[in-house]
Amino acid sequence: MAKKQKPESSAGKRTGDVDLPEVERLLAFMEKHGLEEFEYARGDFHVRLRKPFSQPHSFSRAVSAPPDIVVAGAGPVAHAEAGHASAAAAPGARGAASAEAGHSEDVHTVKSPIVGTFYSAATPGSEPFVTVGSKVDAGQTLCIIEAMKLMNEIESDVAGEVARVFVENGQPVEYGEPLFGIRTHRKK
Amino acid sequence: MFRKILIANRGEIALRILSACRELGIRTVAVYSEADRNSLHVRFADEAICIGPPRSTESYLNIPQVISAAEIANVDAIHPGYGFLSENANFAEVCEASHITFIGPTPEVIRLMGEKDKAKEAMAAAGLPIIPGSAGAIPDEEAAKKIARDIGYPVMIKAAEGGGGRGMRVVRHARELIPAFRTARSEAEQAFGSPNVYMEKLIERPRHIEFQVLGDKHGNVVHLGERECSLQRRHQKVLEESPSVVMDAATRQNLGKQVVDALAKIGYSSAGTVEFLREASGKLYFIEMNARIQVEHPVTEMVTSVDLVKSQIRVAAGEKLTDVLPAAVEFRGHAIECRINAEDPDTFTPSAGRVTAFRVPGGPGIRVDTACYSDAVIPPYYDSLIAKIIAHGQDRAEAIARMQRGLDGFVVEGVKTTIPLHKKILANPEFVAGKFDTHFLERMAAAETK
Repeated sequence: MAKKQKPESSAGKRTGDVDLPEVERLLAFMEKHGLEEFEYARGDFHVRLRKPFSQPHSFSRAVSAPPDIVVAGAGPVAHAEAGHASAAAAPGARGAASAEAGHSEDVHTVKSPIVGTFYSAATPGSEPFVTVGSKVDAGQTLCIIEAMKLMNEIESDVAGEVARVFVENGQPVEYGEPLFGIRTHRKK
Repeated sequence: MFRKILIANRGEIALRILSACRELGIRTVAVYSEADRNSLHVRFADEAICIGPPRSTESYLNIPQVISAAEIANVDAIHPGYGFLSENANFAEVCEASHITFIGPTPEVIRLMGEKDKAKEAMAAAGLPIIPGSAGAIPDEEAAKKIARDIGYPVMIKAAEGGGGRGMRVVRHARELIPAFRTARSEAEQAFGSPNVYMEKLIERPRHIEFQVLGDKHGNVVHLGERECSLQRRHQKVLEESPSVVMDAATRQNLGKQVVDALAKIGYSSAGTVEFLREASGKLYFIEMNARIQVEHPVTEMVTSVDLVKSQIRVAAGEKLTDVLPAAVEFRGHAIECRINAEDPDTFTPSAGRVTAFRVPGGPGIRVDTACYSDAVIPPYYDSLIAKIIAHGQDRAEAIARMQRGLDGFVVEGVKTTIPLHKKILANPEFVAGKFDTHFLERMAAAETK
């Protein structure tokens, strides 16, 4: 969405009782040994460190704040970027599962690959390409994004059922903005 | 005046443009890559639009994305800052076609200045002195001898297609010419697939001096004095100052007038910089023009009290220079700028990462332009400039003293910076005496390793 999106203040970083010098030391250790990912526990100190882009992880607003360092006894493991880039996701990561809070794991998010204006139908007044509940195949057109007077058809990269439509007809969208949630076929 | 401007840039210059817009009452739209989600230009702009992944070719240099963002945000104008799309004639044309004002010169002028040979030709035709040399490739040995005689030794032979020192020879005496010409040709052939070489007068102990200019859309151009940018490393400016210690009032006036006349002739209608090399004898030669606002513009702002970015926006909106500038621009005191890069101060290798502490100096005569903050992450995708510190004093000595005081109070932790390098420069007796040229930093580094 083209509206102002305030980044969370750095104070929003949950450092808790994190032992920063210790984390620094571990980061240096990772650097030295060329490690991409590293998990470490000692007593109630438990930390997992991962270099940016070492594996595709999805980008979404919910995780767009500065990288979190969370340290807790038996709580969530800490995520800290290894200091050489921002929290931004790897390009092309939009095929990865959405990390947005509140969505079940089998809902795949289709994100806007370009900046432009979202249209749910081919022409004004005609039926939308898809609505909630539509069954879609991979490669099926979901919507149009108009950029620089060009109509770009956005296709689904998975097969499934449309669970959510995040944007409204005529709404401006930015790069990486979630457009659709597609519930992929549940594996039992 | 514009209602809303999109800032097609990042870092300190995006914030600098944002400040100018705010003072002019113009709304701002920031664009950013995924790597800059937490950066200050995004935070302080009225609106912000993500335009792509971290790589600048897919975001800040991606014309369709930037234009789409401008269209959905419905802006009147785009300020390109420096670097990225600022000197892209094609982008300026697309803006024009999309009915968005490009804050800069016309696409034709950008294109002309972008082609270095054509720019030199045009500026020579408009009356500026250029470095004497062969017009294009030298056909044969006889021609080489004649050209060298005409322009006078020492001369420099350079590969027409190349760069980086290969196919390059300095010739000080006539007897060295033919052997040097032959080796330069064979080196050029091997390195660049073309044996073509050209010849130029060698400028010994050159100083880099540039004029700040400002033109409007009504045919008026003024200059705002010179800046000396001789302290460079690998053609990257490190420290700039104004005025230059070697520029006397008469030269400034004469050359300044030539510059203004030349730019009026080609129809220059924005902020820009005309660069010269000055040889030890005092002669200045045009080398190129930067058709945009420059990194070192604050140096001129400090000595003239003219806000260059606001002026640039106002002339782009059609205002006349006579309304934008005071009747007589006064030059007061001396200003120095140090570029603080996230780099190793000795090896100059970039030092990306998280800034763990950031404290900016203040006090009389100190200005810091930066988009950095404590806990910011310096991404590895873009240039390494993290701050510019500018010191202004009544004279050069006071400016130097203030800069030293400012650098002492400038704290950056977590990444390496060029602050220690600047402290060494400011303490160097030759720098203090104003005796330097574009090779000063190489010599300083060499002296240290001895």
